[in-house]
Amino acid sequence: MIGSAADIARQIASGTRSAAAVLAECKALIEAKNPGLNCFTAKTLERAEREAAAIDGSYSAGRALPPLAGVPYAVKNLFDVEGMVTLAGAKINAGNAPAAADATIVGRMSRAGAILVGALNMEELAYGFLTENHHYGTTRNPHDRTRGAGGSSGGSAAAVGAGMLPITLGSDTSGSIRVPASLCGVFGLKPTYGRLPRTGTYPFVNSFDHVGPFANSVLGLALAYDAMQGPDPADPACAQRAIEPASASLSLPRGIRIGILGGWFHEWADPSARRSVQLAAAALGATAWTELKSAEVARAAAYIITGAEGGALHRPRLIKQYEDFGPSSRSRLVAGGLIPASWVIQAQRVRQHAYREAMGLFERFDLLIAAAAPAVAPHVGQETLLINGRSIPTKAGLGVLTQPISCIGLPVCVVPVWPGEGDSVAERALPVGVQLIGAPWREDACLAAARTLEQAGIAEVRAPLC
Amino acid sequence: MTETRDNPLEAYVRAALALQGYTFDDAEIAEIVMQFSRLEAISRTVFDWPLLFASEPAPVFRP
Repeated sequence: MIGSAADIARQIASGTRSAAAVLAECKALIEAKNPGLNCFTAKTLERAEREAAAIDGSYSAGRALPPLAGVPYAVKNLFDVEGMVTLAGAKINAGNAPAAADATIVGRMSRAGAILVGALNMEELAYGFLTENHHYGTTRNPHDRTRGAGGSSGGSAAAVGAGMLPITLGSDTSGSIRVPASLCGVFGLKPTYGRLPRTGTYPFVNSFDHVGPFANSVLGLALAYDAMQGPDPADPACAQRAIEPASASLSLPRGIRIGILGGWFHEWADPSARRSVQLAAAALGATAWTELKSAEVARAAAYIITGAEGGALHRPRLIKQYEDFGPSSRSRLVAGGLIPASWVIQAQRVRQHAYREAMGLFERFDLLIAAAAPAVAPHVGQETLLINGRSIPTKAGLGVLTQPISCIGLPVCVVPVWPGEGDSVAERALPVGVQLIGAPWREDACLAAARTLEQAGIAEVRAPLC
Repeated sequence: MTETRDNPLEAYVRAALALQGYTFDDAEIAEIVMQFSRLEAISRTVFDWPLLFASEPAPVFRP
């Protein structure tokens, strides 16, 4: 397992290790672990060698090193990387011209000293909660290779969970950071909608698209988040806020009020997911239950808006290249493009209502907690999930607890919790993540709670047994 | 495929596909009808939710 981002940066800044040595370790881990998991779709090792040499040169010259100096990372393959084709998991993009420049936040990671080692597998066009990609293969779960990594940022979560990398980047439209973080047992941050710029990322649903990091420690997550903050006028959804650093202070304020989300979030959590929430709540001293009554309808609204925007976005190529889209996404995209305008407008009205209800909850609580997935990772190819006696299609059902939250843009940190519940030894060894949900722009509170759980030993990234 | 006059949802899908420039065979249309029926079912949830008449949609254009 590779070390944490903070440890690596500290070792390089102190001269204990060189960036080249860290990169060599990382390459060996990728070589050993990636073939069984299928996390990477491309590697950028020449660039990584150049970036590592630049860091080592700066150290030798006595220059101050940036906060992520020498820390290796990789990105979901919907981020533009200069000189590489941005696939977004789709065959239809394979013939596109290479990106002329890095995505804004990839450039910011580089300026923070991080070393880009490659691009990572994902669900085709980010449409789904698995990473069973028709064109680029299935990404498997590092803790049980018969199971999936979740999606759509499955390669990003599995690469951290397997111990190949301390940090990766992903995107989250309806749960695509939070679901795979939960299934692979890693930390993930979906910031407030509009916090991090999406310039140079392949879009899916402009109304909901977020970008954010995965990491093997809370401090690493916060360091990456801080490195990527800041305004970017090129992204119209970017809130253009000044940087509000979170990594310098990760302590939970005294007297913080934490509510446990019941109702929809309890009904759609199986015993293992409920146990994860119980463990996190106990460690945070949370005892008050509350409810977001519009959770179900917010999820429905997210579905309608996602279908309509995704279908409209891809319509020209669906008309011309239908056969080049994967079979699990093309008919859903076309159907979404037929949604009447009145449904979309109603969904957007519901969305506003759900947001206002959530703001009411934040008058009583500083943080809300809920499971990030309804159960442990399903087996690859598993068609349905059985949650408390109710069956739901796996592809849609894995996002049942994340969609209501991204629909209203709240920041969420997912922490890996190990409930030890299940019918088999294999299931009892799997994680179910917990969402720490903050009020808008309060990523600091989410990260501080995550750090508290990490220090308490409740949330941790574990080395895979297989 | 059923007669479209007996199935307004399928009739809508066929008409909307034609309007948007898609050309599919019956098997592909059947798959799209199935996907659209899922969306139609979930759309009922958003219409069943009580909202004030003046409730505004979430996105606001800010020039």
